[in-house]
Amino acid sequence: MTTIRHTIRAVAIATVIALAPAAQAFDPSSPAGKYKDPGITDTEIVIGLHAPLSGRLKAFGYDVLYAAKMWYDMINKRGGIWGRKIRVIIADDKCSPTELVGIHKKFVTVDKVFLLHGGSCTHSTVAAQEYVTRNKIPYVMLNASGDAAVIPPTRYVFGAFGGTQRTLGGTIVDFAARALKAKRIAYISHDDEYGAANTAAARFTAKKSGVELIAVEQVSRRIVDVTAPVLKIRAAKPDAIVITTYTGPAALITKKIYELGLRVPIIAAVQAIPNPPSFVKNVGNMKALANFYYGSPLNDLTRGPKQKWVQDMYKKAYPKHNRPTPFMAYGVPSAQAIVYALMMAGPNPTRESFVDAMSHLKFNTGVLAGPIELGENKRDGHNASIFIKFDGKKHSRMSGVYFNKFVGQK
Amino acid sequence: MTGSIYALIALSLVIVFKSTEVINFGGGEIVMISAYIAMFFLILFGLPYLVVVPVTALVVFVIGASFDRVVLDRVLGRHRPGQDIMVAMVIATVGLSYVLKGTVRLFSVSDDVRTLPPIFSTDPIFIGDIVLSQQDIAIFLISIMVMMLLFGFFTFTRIGKALRATSENPRAAMLVGIPVRRMRTLVWGIAAALAAVAGVLVSPKLLVSPDMGGIIILAFAAAIIGGFTNVLGVIVGGVVIGVIENLVGLFISSKAIAITPFIVIILVLIARPQGLFGGAVPIKKV
Repeated sequence: MTTIRHTIRAVAIATVIALAPAAQAFDPSSPAGKYKDPGITDTEIVIGLHAPLSGRLKAFGYDVLYAAKMWYDMINKRGGIWGRKIRVIIADDKCSPTELVGIHKKFVTVDKVFLLHGGSCTHSTVAAQEYVTRNKIPYVMLNASGDAAVIPPTRYVFGAFGGTQRTLGGTIVDFAARALKAKRIAYISHDDEYGAANTAAARFTAKKSGVELIAVEQVSRRIVDVTAPVLKIRAAKPDAIVITTYTGPAALITKKIYELGLRVPIIAAVQAIPNPPSFVKNVGNMKALANFYYGSPLNDLTRGPKQKWVQDMYKKAYPKHNRPTPFMAYGVPSAQAIVYALMMAGPNPTRESFVDAMSHLKFNTGVLAGPIELGENKRDGHNASIFIKFDGKKHSRMSGVYFNKFVGQK
Repeated sequence: MTGSIYALIALSLVIVFKSTEVINFGGGEIVMISAYIAMFFLILFGLPYLVVVPVTALVVFVIGASFDRVVLDRVLGRHRPGQDIMVAMVIATVGLSYVLKGTVRLFSVSDDVRTLPPIFSTDPIFIGDIVLSQQDIAIFLISIMVMMLLFGFFTFTRIGKALRATSENPRAAMLVGIPVRRMRTLVWGIAAALAAVAGVLVSPKLLVSPDMGGIIILAFAAAIIGGFTNVLGVIVGGVVIGVIENLVGLFISSKAIAITPFIVIILVLIARPQGLFGGAVPIKKV
């Protein structure tokens, strides 16, 4: 608890100093601005909170949403923000774009929320952009990387609190080149916007690092037989293989790499391994994981000393939520950002003043590898990764924090 | 190697089509539910594959036969002269696919993608530059064995001969005392059991999820290549589609793998609608 208190105090002080000029611009005594927007009263602020709470993508959002709620509950116990308690309304978006947009419309028109907070999958958060921009509703993503929703930036959408796909592609190649001394890296991603974004950053970083990105394979999310792409990778004779697909194809590829006799380091993106025990079962052969690494935007192993406070806090808040996924802690930074921005927006915040405050945030979360940095023209929050060696049983943190240097478009 | 599994699934489609003229759009979901049933026996009861394969086939046989008895029989019973009964039958199989997928989604086991444990060792065998996995070889051999058993059943057994007679001319079969209705139920059961064996064999190689029924498109491509009524052609079609898929991935692009079966289907339908091994397009006498 001391760590949390220190983190909050340090961040609050830093933010207040940084934003003092902006805060002065808000006039709390202005009666016109007092309840200009819905979802705010003298006693509460209403937030629409959503994530995939059921279905096959539940692992990406369930614990994450409850971690965000845990942070709001903690703030409420400490008296709330400017005397107001945060009330959340929870919905299950199933990572479906149509469900998510429907939920946003319901939150805004029926529940009259002040702001929207949620989304764990890029494609669904991208779908939300048009509605929130048209209606000028602040939308803070929960843990979706959401490249296309935050790059190029738009005023009302903030996200990538776990990093964009660009962050992932850039840091993973940097790790392969610097830590594993790889010179010829094979790269396998999805054949969509998601894959295009991380591949662009990977190509950029490879060029900067003087390594060769060979056999860049892009596969469908629904691929059934991965023999051909892995055969092509084998023919290219790489000295490391990067996998940035979702967990299903990643398990198939890892398995096939072993079956085809390739014995080089494999580095997987965090989305490949949302549930390590399940990933191990799907690979089905511990020998295939003999030289396996994965990236994480967190500052430590989920059971590491730097993550202990958030793990303990979650366990205390939800004693019945057994074995939260490694994504759980991702829910905290976006909730922290909202709380800080509400504090900075003054005692009578409007949606516009909240967005202005969000646009100036810079703070350390206590859970992520790097700081959250937002700006007038920067809506993606986080840009760093650590890497972990995983042999199927034991997770060991590799030294160093890796920062993505690619900021461009595809 | 994977082509042999596509061939098995395609066979399950073809024997139903040959006997009832119905294209089973629920075939993929029968494969999917078989994988979940096998997972249930493997993980919950810790049974070996030697037991799991026949037990799963038996359970799924009952599902297939029950679908015919409970659903298709009633659809046929409501048939009025002049109505196109085939449309209703095909829609019923689409319904079956949704029911099976929805049923699996009711259980939390479907929340996460899974695979079944390997049937044999996945260690590679190197023959010069060629790499084979022991599991792939085993799956291929088992598939061939199942196809041979099926061939033996249809060629040498009394029931098999009765089934063939029913598929060739149901009216004549009825006249010589073959219980056509029961035979149709049996065909649905056998086709489902065949799909179940394919489902169990393919699951250690693929991911088990409620969406894995999408594999049926590869079986359709195999059946269309081979000719929808030619059993041997379908087996060859399965192997061909497996090979084409990988050749496209290797020499064109990995991105093109997903669209390969659709392109194959279109090309075969344009160039040779009866399939590469099918005879002339049959003209139905009315």
